[in-house]
Amino acid sequence: MGSSNSMPEEIQELADKTGFTLEQIEHLHRRFKQISGDQPTIRKESFDRIPDLEFNPIRSKIVRAFFDKRNLRQASVGLTDEINFEDFLTIMSYFRPIEMNMDEEQLDHFRKEKLKFLFHMYDSDNDGKITLHEYRKVVEELLSGNPHLEKESARSIADGAMMEAASICVGQMEPDQVYEGITFEDFLKMWQGIDIDTKMHVRFLNMEPIAHCH
Amino acid sequence: MEGLLMIAAQVMSVWFTLAFTLIVLPSVFGLSLGISEFYMRILVKTLEWATIRIQKGVKKKQAMALKNSASSGIIQRDETTMEKEIAGLRRVDFELSDVFYFSKKGIEAIVEDEVTQRFSSEELVSWNLLTRTNVNFQYISLRLTVVWVLGVVVRYCLLLPLRAALAAIGIVSMIVGTTLVGKLPNSRFKDWLSELVHLTCSRILVRALSGTITYHNKENRPQKGGICVANHTSPIDVLILTNDGCYAMVGQAHGGLMGLIQRSTVKACPHVWFDRSEMKDRHLVLKRLKEHVADQNKLPILIFPEGTCINNTSVMMFKKGSFEIGGTIYPVAIKYDPQFGDAFWNSSKYDIVSYLLRIMTSWAIVCNVWYMPPMIREEGEDAVQFANRVKSAIAHRGGLTELPWDGGLKRAKVKDTFKEEQQKNYSKMIVGNGPTGNLSMGAESD
Repeated sequence: MGSSNSMPEEIQELADKTGFTLEQIEHLHRRFKQISGDQPTIRKESFDRIPDLEFNPIRSKIVRAFFDKRNLRQASVGLTDEINFEDFLTIMSYFRPIEMNMDEEQLDHFRKEKLKFLFHMYDSDNDGKITLHEYRKVVEELLSGNPHLEKESARSIADGAMMEAASICVGQMEPDQVYEGITFEDFLKMWQGIDIDTKMHVRFLNMEPIAHCH
Repeated sequence: MEGLLMIAAQVMSVWFTLAFTLIVLPSVFGLSLGISEFYMRILVKTLEWATIRIQKGVKKKQAMALKNSASSGIIQRDETTMEKEIAGLRRVDFELSDVFYFSKKGIEAIVEDEVTQRFSSEELVSWNLLTRTNVNFQYISLRLTVVWVLGVVVRYCLLLPLRAALAAIGIVSMIVGTTLVGKLPNSRFKDWLSELVHLTCSRILVRALSGTITYHNKENRPQKGGICVANHTSPIDVLILTNDGCYAMVGQAHGGLMGLIQRSTVKACPHVWFDRSEMKDRHLVLKRLKEHVADQNKLPILIFPEGTCINNTSVMMFKKGSFEIGGTIYPVAIKYDPQFGDAFWNSSKYDIVSYLLRIMTSWAIVCNVWYMPPMIREEGEDAVQFANRVKSAIAHRGGLTELPWDGGLKRAKVKDTFKEEQQKNYSKMIVGNGPTGNLSMGAESD
């Protein structure tokens, strides 16, 4: 009559660290095992098994985000090869919904974390700004599904958007001033006042598997 | 030694007589002696008792809201369309915001996708005293453990041999019976006899699994010259349906025991078995089936358009091939009750023998079968639309969810054409805004 529960203390630790409830962690653990094929770690290839993900135009960026050391709160930069369950939970915690009992400071911090996650998705070379080149790459990827779209259209869209971003962040530019790229502060500025928290979270239902002895 | 043999022979003969009178004879006439019903009543009482004990043993403060949504997912997805969500987010003319939307969708897909969860067994809301379903449940009390042990003993030592023997009898009589009937010249008598043999053996085999089947709307039962279409959960579906009527099977010719059964049954009744090479030729298959259907005297064909076994919580894409044959379609919905035994065959995890063993050591197979009114393809409707219409009807009737996905995803990846459709939608949206964006940009930068 044994169960697949690991020690409750470990789970409690994970819960405290990432903010998920114990049931959510159990469910995510089962999902992790499904994706990894019962291995202790997942690699990029494991995400190939998910049909729903195939439709997503920025699929590779999302998968990459899982292995990005900046998101995993590790001191170094670059990509790791494989992640374990704790890392998986860390990435998932970026998409936790906000809780009712959070105060101003916590909310602000939370929001910053989410925006930082997105910023990392764009800023692939980790120089702290999203350059025109990186922006273009993202647009191309988003539009990659449509073979009829020429590269030129993608480019012009990126250029136009970059200009607008510049005007928001820097205001009127001198004729010879070059806009280097969107820094994280600029990024935050762009989203000020917009409620992104509700757009960037995954709502977990209240699942209670019955007969749970703690 | 001799004494032992004598005793063994006595026991065997007594046993066989019992089996014959209690099971085989009633099967011939389609009667029931009420033994299964009695067994089921005891079983239900025991499981209810177990559930109550489990509930008492829980030390949680929250109330037990037993939702049946164990299989419907752990996250709540937004139902708004892509267009609305992205429009709602747009502040900069472009796509920084779109990334929000796509990353959320991506993470949702990673946490849970609709397809993969259909290929694993349904999760139970309450434990049913089988070890195999014990994923969430822990040790509760001594009494429960004792009952569980008793259950194991009953299932493996009492029920399993009984069922295995019955299954053997059923298969042997099927082969022998149909071969004998096959020797007769074609006549109405032969058809009647072959129907009798098929029905009897089917009933014996269903009893071998302790199957309790409830048929609804028997007036809609498939008629001759029609096509019967049902959702697929396991190879047992065939038995469930033939228990109540005679069908012409369609399938690939196998070797071994299955092949033997196929070869003998086809002599008695015109089933349609294809060779492996013939299966690849779609036109040939279609032609043969069309010929069969055109003959109004022939039994209705039985087809499972999903093409593979799904875990009985949803209905996946119906392949259009079956709907191109023409004729009247009789949809049938089959829903198993997972509380008594999981009928789903996860062919990537278990092979057929271990699957059969699992079935025979479950408590019982309980299911509901709904016969639905016949459907015909309407004017201006192509095969795919017709297939979807039938699929919705079956899903609705059986209380299953409906998915547009292809059951073949169990093994293969998403088709590229399908993917491109979706991505084209998105880029259409963007480029739609692109030119206007450019115009305004052009004006500004001047």
